Order: sequence, then C-alpha cells, then structure tokens
Amino acid sequence: MTGNRVWLCHRCQREMVPQKTDFGYLGHSFYADILACPECGLVLIPEELAKGRIAEVEMQLEDK
Amino acid sequence: MSREWPQATASVCPVCLKRIPAQRVRTGDAVFLRKACEAHGSFESVLWRGHVDVDDWTGPRAEPPPGNPRCPTECGLCPDHLQESCCVLLEVTGRCNLACRFCFAAGDRGEEPTLAWLKTALRQLAQPGQTLVQLSGGEPILRDDLPEVVAAAREAGCRYVQLNSNGIRLAEDPGYMRELAEAGLSFVFMQFDGTEDDIAVRLRGRPLLALKQRAIEHCAAQNVGVTLVPTLVPGVNTDSIGEILRFAVARAPAVRGVHFQPVSYFGRMPAVPTDGMRFTLDELLAAIGVQAGEVIDAGHLRPSRCDHPLCGFHGDFVVAPAGGRLIPLTPRRSAECGCGGGPVTAERNREFVGRRWQRPSPAGGDIAGGDLRDMGVFLRRVETHGFTVTAMAFQDAGNLDLERLRRCSLHVFDQGRRVPFCAHYLSAWGSR
Repeated sequence: MTGNRVWLCHRCQREMVPQKTDFGYLGHSFYADILACPECGLVLIPEELAKGRIAEVEMQLEDK
Repeated sequence: MSREWPQATASVCPVCLKRIPAQRVRTGDAVFLRKACEAHGSFESVLWRGHVDVDDWTGPRAEPPPGNPRCPTECGLCPDHLQESCCVLLEVTGRCNLACRFCFAAGDRGEEPTLAWLKTALRQLAQPGQTLVQLSGGEPILRDDLPEVVAAAREAGCRYVQLNSNGIRLAEDPGYMRELAEAGLSFVFMQFDGTEDDIAVRLRGRPLLALKQRAIEHCAAQNVGVTLVPTLVPGVNTDSIGEILRFAVARAPAVRGVHFQPVSYFGRMPAVPTDGMRFTLDELLAAIGVQAGEVIDAGHLRPSRCDHPLCGFHGDFVVAPAGGRLIPLTPRRSAECGCGGGPVTAERNREFVGRRWQRPSPAGGDIAGGDLRDMGVFLRRVETHGFTVTAMAFQDAGNLDLERLRRCSLHVFDQGRRVPFCAHYLSAWGSR
C-alpha cells in the first residue's frame, strides 16, 4: 500500500509525486496516475494497482 | 513448422458409417481426407485450401485417433475422449417453423419431450455453477413452456442458459422474450445467414431480415445478448461475410459476436457434397480479411485450443468507441506458430465465451466516448462492448476425422450420455 506515506526515489533521493504515466501492457497502451520520481522518472506501481486494475486488464486480455 | 505428411487417422464410410482408416493428405498447400470402404469405394473431402499454412495453424500436435473400436458408432464420452464439456446441448423439441435446405437436426426426432422429462434431464446434465446448457431443437421457442425450462435449468444449477433460435418468435412476441429473460436466459444464438432477404429465401425458404432485426431489438430491451450464427454455403452467402460482420458490429452491444458455421452435410441437405460445396476454415479466414479488413484484422483470429484447431477459431475484440471497427484483445497469430500454446480446459473456454456473450448489468453505465487508455474506461468498455468472432467447422460423414472428434467439447445430452455434436448428428449419405 502506498497510503499517505512519502516515497523517496532510491537513486535520486527525491520525493516521488503522482504523475500521469503512459505504459504498455500486453500490447495495449494505458495511462494511470502513479508515483514517479521528478528527477529520473522511476515509477512505483503500487500493490493495489497491480493486484487490482492491472490484474483485471490481464484477465481480459488473456487468450481463451 | 512442418509436420509429417500424410497423417494417419480414422473416419467412417459415408454410405454405411462403418469405421474405416483414413489419411490426411497434403497436396501443395491444401489438405484432403482420403479413405476407402471395402464395400462402398474410395472417398475424398477437402479439409484445407492453403490460405493459411496448415502446419502453422495446427502446431506440433500429435494425437492419434481414439483406439476404442466402437468410436464413433456407439458414442458416449469414453476414457479415450480428450475434452470435457464446454457446452451441453439439450433438444427441447423436434418441431420447427421453418423448412430449411440445410438442417443438422432434420431427422425424425420422435415425441415431444415433456416438461417433467426435461427437468429430469437438466438435473442430470447440470454440474452446479459450471454448466453452459444450450436449449436447442427444432425451434425451441415453439414450446409455450420454454420459460419454465429455462427456470428449471437455473434451478438445476446451470451457470449459463443459451437459446439456439431462428429468432422468429422472439421478433413476433416481445412478451415471451421478457418471460424468457425473467426466467434466467443468459444469451441467444440466433441463426443469421445474411443481410439480404434473397439469402434467407434460398436457405430458409422465406424473407427473414426484418424479423431478425426486431428479434435483436427485443433481446436488447431485455438486456439479453445475441450472437449471430451464419451458416456459410458456397455460392449463396460466402460473399456476404463482410456485410454480416458490419451489420453485427453496428448493432453492438446488443449483438455480442458472430459465430460462423461453414456448411456441413448431415441431417437435411440438398445433395451429397462435392468439394465445391464446402467452405473451409482457412477460406473463411481469408474471406474475413478481404471482405471486412476495415472492421477486423483477421490475423488476430486464432485456432481453437479447447477443440481441435481444425474445428474452429476465435478472436476476442472490443468495439472501438467511434464504432465500426474491432480492436483486438487476443494477440496476433505469430508467423512461426499460430497455435498459440497447448490445449485449454473446457471450463476456461466456457468462462471466456460466457463473459462475452452475456451482457453486463446496465447499472454500471455505458462508456461511449471514453479514452481506452484509461484502465477503468477500458475495463468497462470490454464488459459492455466485448465482441467475439468465432467459427466452428462441423464434421459430416464425408470429412469426419476421429482425431478431431476426440477433442470435441460441444456435447449433446442423449438419454444420460454426452455425445460429441458431430457424432450425434452423423448421418449416412445413402448409396451413391
């Protein structure tokens, strides 16, 4: 869980901030507001997103 | 990828239905089934015409025909069978309100089953929480008690209740459609051979297009999904495949998909078929690409993994927010191997088709113009506007291949037995 915690980028030691981020998954393009380092762009995929919507998307894109 | 040719399998004599050895023979890019009966001579049927490489399509699969010498004449699933039931078909009537040129179920169906008999059958066939039952016929909606049959299927624990119908009564009697929906009907498989009345006249004996459109509207009013099922007959409607797809996509989300069935020759048929009277799966793939390339990329249609790859294909799509075009969800077939991995369970296949063919509750709203890159919008759009393009190539006495039959997941419930569809409806062509 990310909750209200502050996350720091390990490499830059900058506080990660919510940012609209584009990413590709299973051949499709999506965006989501996720935490990213304003310096190097490293993103944090929170557990609730991975186990929630991303898992749902994966299920829908799974071949029968 | 290449496999060894010819390939040994087993079939039946189309005249006497005796089990006989057979070979799949590759000639150039095409594949034929060849067989000989001591009493009735030699036979050959085209299986594949080479629009797609057959080795790439079938993959490295090596399943011999079943060893059971009573297959298929005394069929009921036996230990040699390789697939569970994806769908179980129950005939609820032998009556029909059409007299089609082609009908798999045109034989003498005996007495009309009573409601009590059907309730018993449904209790026997249902595996609670799992079974997808197809109520079939004849024309099932000629029964006035069909809502009670649907309710009985639900009470028996069927997860999905599908109605196979020509749609006529669904068009003429919206009140009856409402009763079926309230009883728990999940979705409708509706015979739909083309967008011109001439096609219906030639295949079904009367114009039907206006009725089909009304039937779709009445299903939509009850939030019951409709999948259109064209029987494809060379020279009649194989040039209408693109029109059928455009018609169907334009009517999403009421229409959930198109399930093509190249004509097969059992039950009622106008003549013993020549190869020119057959339409192979790869011809269908090519025709979709040529006739509907702006709607669908046929490269995303993949061989069946639940049934044998020569028995069908499937593609999972979502209708683009602007309409008129299908965005693929299933990955493209790769150049090296279109087979897309090994076989899958019937249960997995059933869940896949069930979630697409059944419409979601309207309570979640409809996202017409959202951005599909937003995962929430994408997920809701797939739920409301998911669209399948599928095909099943049934086998008849001419091209029956027991290796394929062995993987069949569509089973007819017959006196307590489950019989693969093509074995159940297998009918001899008579003396030539």
